[in-house]
Amino acid sequence: MKQLIELTINNRVYEVPVSPKDLLADVIRDKVGLTGTKKGCGQGDCGACTVLIDGNPVLSCLTLAIACQGRKITTIEGLVAEDGQLHPIQQAYVDHGAVQCGFCTPGMILTSKALLDRNPKPSEEEIKRGISGNICRCTGYKKIVEAIFAAGETISTEGVK
Amino acid sequence: MYLNNFEYFAPETPGEALDLVARMGNKAKVLAGGTDLLIMMKEKMIQPEYLIDINNVKEFKGISYEPGKGAVIGAATKISEVEHSPVIRDKYFALHQAAGELGSAQVRAMATIGGNSCHASPAAETPTPLVAFGAKIVISSVSGDRELPLEEFILGNRKNALAEGELLTQFILPEPAPKSASRYWYIGLRDAMEIDAVNMAVNMVLENDGRTVKDLRLVMGSVSPRPLVSVEVPGILVGKEFNSELVEKAAQAAAGEAKPISDIRASAEYRREVTAVLARRLLQQAFDAAREV
Ligand SMILES: Cc1cc2nc3c(=O)[nH]c(=O)nc-3n(C[C@H](O)[C@H](O)[C@H](O)COP(=O)(O)OP(=O)(O)OC[C@H]3O[C@@H](n4cnc5c(N)ncnc54)[C@H](O)[C@@H]3O)c2cc1C
Ligand code: FES
Ligand code: FES
Repeated sequence: MKQLIELTINNRVYEVPVSPKDLLADVIRDKVGLTGTKKGCGQGDCGACTVLIDGNPVLSCLTLAIACQGRKITTIEGLVAEDGQLHPIQQAYVDHGAVQCGFCTPGMILTSKALLDRNPKPSEEEIKRGISGNICRCTGYKKIVEAIFAAGETISTEGVK
Repeated sequence: MYLNNFEYFAPETPGEALDLVARMGNKAKVLAGGTDLLIMMKEKMIQPEYLIDINNVKEFKGISYEPGKGAVIGAATKISEVEHSPVIRDKYFALHQAAGELGSAQVRAMATIGGNSCHASPAAETPTPLVAFGAKIVISSVSGDRELPLEEFILGNRKNALAEGELLTQFILPEPAPKSASRYWYIGLRDAMEIDAVNMAVNMVLENDGRTVKDLRLVMGSVSPRPLVSVEVPGILVGKEFNSELVEKAAQAAAGEAKPISDIRASAEYRREVTAVLARRLLQQAFDAAREV
């Protein structure tokens, strides 16, 4: 039984028909058409499907879309400013060569955002712990850790959110 | 990797939630964080007809603390809230540690403390310290509430004491004794996102002299189908002045009490060995911390 629900994604309201069993990751990609969110393992292990819900990093492969009514969902598409300027975290990933194939990147960046929102000046250890639920098969993580560190510096000196 | 069809309910009050649970009985599953439930459904281990999402019931969430009485944690409280709670860090340090080691940042933002005990995995993070604190749980149904010590609630792998129509609603943690401290740790194959090979919590109370052990609880996880409360370790240390000889004896006793199995994560022999290692470390750490209180 499909029903119409309203999802607020990146400050826009989308009306989508869903079944209770539809997962947020699939709805965002296939029904809303925002394909920045990736689906890797489908069981909570890789973090590729991470989105922010009310600012918290959440695995959209283990979240029912129907349970997200009234919540504020942010996907990677929502980080870019209206004039197209990249978010400081995205820019830092580019500047530090922290992106290779890019499959892990949307989830990794949103997890970085949740971490930096809570703690803008994390230590290397705190960064590593913070991204332990995001698997990257390309970069070896070093450049990602450097990018997050640099983004934290930018955000705390420039006061960007 | 898809879910079966089911009907979805999102009650907003405890009364509505309990009514639904009573009405739908075994055909329904409670949805808290979904980090265990949805995986079991994806793997077709279960195919419930109804899901009752308890995340919109605010009475089931949150942490409160009253000096002299202790803390109450709602069953639907997220693990990340437990991890970052100043009161839990201050008064129930072992639980703060365990919450911070559960899964990843994402899993902690989704998973609930109630789901962790209800799922009753022998390797679960939070039941071990909760049992060490002597936590009780509140089980609610349309006909009222009942309380149970947590160690009597967890019966074995994926088995808990909930009857049809019942919900786990609260954890009640007694006020820590003066001059007491707690510590938690685990050993797994790697640091992050690992299922524990062994985990352990120690909660120690000292006499005013700062040397004599007045009371002690040592609880082991993942070495038995349910949290294992050591009987021998308190027998060795309580009433005695803390010293390394007794700690060694206690560590060996804990290893002897453990009933580990061999599986893909570790052999029984290795688990027994690291039980002694953890006991040695945690007894010392809890003692050092309790002296500082
Ligand atoms: C990638 C990943 C890593 C993980 N790592 C760890 C780890 O390191 N340590 C660890 O301990 N666990 C880990 N887990 C397991 C899981 O996250 C925890 O057990 C979690 O606490 C379960 O809580 P939940 O709210 O998600 O439960 P759910 O999945 O929503 O529910 C679990 C079960 O409990 C029942 N239930 C839940 N709440 C109630 C209630 N209030 N009353 C009655 N029944 C209820 C449900 O019906 C279901 O049967 C991990 C899971 C994943 C996906
Ligand atoms: S796709 Fe969600 S964690 Fe891997
Ligand atoms: S850049 Fe390829 S998986 Fe991370």
